[in-house]
Amino acid sequence: MKSSQRLLISALFAASVSIVSNNVLASGNPKNGADVFAEECGDCHSTKEGKSKKGPPLHGVIGRKAGSFADFSGYSDSMKQSGIVWNEERIDAYISAPKKVVPGGKMKYDGLPDATSRADVIAYVMSLK
Amino acid sequence: MKLLRLAGRKTLGRWLRIPNTLLAVAALAGLFASPANALPSYARQTGADCASCHAGSFGPQLTPYGQQFKLSGYTDSDEKGVKIPLSAMAVANWTRTSKANPDHPENFNDNNNAALQEASLFLAGRLTDHIGTFVQGTYSGIEKKSSLDQMDIRYAQTLKLGESEGIVGLSFNNNPTLTDPFNTLGQWRFPYTSSDFGFGYGPSPLVESLGGSVLGLNAYTLWDKNFYAELGVYNTPSTGTLNALNASDAGKFSGVGTYGRLAYVKDMKRDNFSVGLFGFNANLQPDRNDLGTSNNYRDLGLDAAYQFLGNREHIFSLNASYVREWQTLNYAYANNEASNLKNNLDQFRIAGSYHYNQTWGATLGLFDSRGSSDSGLFGASSFNNRPNTAGYLLQADWTPWGKEDSWLAPWANMRLGIQYTGYTRYNGGSSYISGTDDSGNPIDRQAKDNNTLSLFAWFAI
Repeated sequence: MKSSQRLLISALFAASVSIVSNNVLASGNPKNGADVFAEECGDCHSTKEGKSKKGPPLHGVIGRKAGSFADFSGYSDSMKQSGIVWNEERIDAYISAPKKVVPGGKMKYDGLPDATSRADVIAYVMSLK
Repeated sequence: MKLLRLAGRKTLGRWLRIPNTLLAVAALAGLFASPANALPSYARQTGADCASCHAGSFGPQLTPYGQQFKLSGYTDSDEKGVKIPLSAMAVANWTRTSKANPDHPENFNDNNNAALQEASLFLAGRLTDHIGTFVQGTYSGIEKKSSLDQMDIRYAQTLKLGESEGIVGLSFNNNPTLTDPFNTLGQWRFPYTSSDFGFGYGPSPLVESLGGSVLGLNAYTLWDKNFYAELGVYNTPSTGTLNALNASDAGKFSGVGTYGRLAYVKDMKRDNFSVGLFGFNANLQPDRNDLGTSNNYRDLGLDAAYQFLGNREHIFSLNASYVREWQTLNYAYANNEASNLKNNLDQFRIAGSYHYNQTWGATLGLFDSRGSSDSGLFGASSFNNRPNTAGYLLQADWTPWGKEDSWLAPWANMRLGIQYTGYTRYNGGSSYISGTDDSGNPIDRQAKDNNTLSLFAWFAI
């Protein structure tokens, strides 16, 4: 197989994964996500605007640069230097394996393996007003 | 924790001959070792609500997040400014027993008593990035005295070895089982508050009876989030130190007391469980004026806990423990206090609770302590020379605050509750000897006469 063919197949595969992932994310149910949030996230993160707990608030996290919430000083250097700007895909990748996406990060969380649960909780976070 | 109370007064006191020794420890455990709770100073420090660390929004029943906070040395924070690690707590109650109690506390009635049972001040929170405290000084409105109640000063940090990591720490403390992160052992098990006008829950092993009378240094780890191990060494302070702390004297250890704990814990977020082993060994010389011969106590226990948290609307928990104590009573036997050189004590406890919306709670508990027949130790209080005591506890409670949006959060918390203790067996059977009349004849009292109804109000700021 020529390298151009391999590249094309890889690109198609990546695109298909992305489409599937986006479809899953798009199908997230915020009502279910509220339960997932309570089970997985709520001890350390608040959904109230501006309220920090052990972690920064997740209200308004979409579009926020990682490690940039001004009223929270508990970020690791790794998080601040990650260059991440949070969107659905970035959050999905991060909460599926936090230590892989931000090695050296402080968040003591092993990750949420279930894609549907991730989509639901992301939908919930996005729904916060 | 009221583990030895009056059953202890009538049995263990004689057992050790010296009323100010283990009897005093029993009284200390019963009267002064007050329950600790969801401290608002921790909530202010972490930004977390009480409900994050405690099932039902009020302590001390910990969630995995609360266990993590404790094991991290009470140092987790929201990293916002300086936090003052001070809190206060008060418990007031009204108590009625089925039949008046002739052995009631001084200055109170023989029944239907209302009291400010205790008021506590806490130094509780982060002192440095790796050092935190849980120190409680308590004024007893029953005994009209103050004492250093609980002390747990910790150093903790995260340690990484290769791909695995864990929390490792040291605790300087004054009570075996105070350091434990689960709600199955002596200090932290249900009931989390109980009336000092009640009749306790039967005799307890030594490991649960030393609060305030010892000082210990424990090393512990929670490794890979699953494996908990703890090893502690305890000694008895001098009488001068105990007097300075207003603490009771259990006697003097010969050598040191050793405490060990192993547990496997699994947090699956939606629910969690733990299973474990614990042990304690000490040689206690009960009379400091008569050193040289000691009573040996070897405790070995099993415990298990399950907690369903879900989305926190419906929380269920089940906590259970069993302890066997092997006693070799060299001192008591030599002084004709005990009829047997060797005795055993078995203690079983279980409690299941349900909380709705982190506000409404209901708990059912069972207690059962059984010991060897020993006429020397128990003959004056038991018709069959046994200390056996068993019964049940029912509690309903309301915790209106303690959530993220609660009124006065994170500055105050409150629990109001009703608790009923029923006895099926007390000091050996369905009836026991509660004392002697003027002619020296034993006074017969039914176990059910001790059934206790209590209303309580528990505040923390």
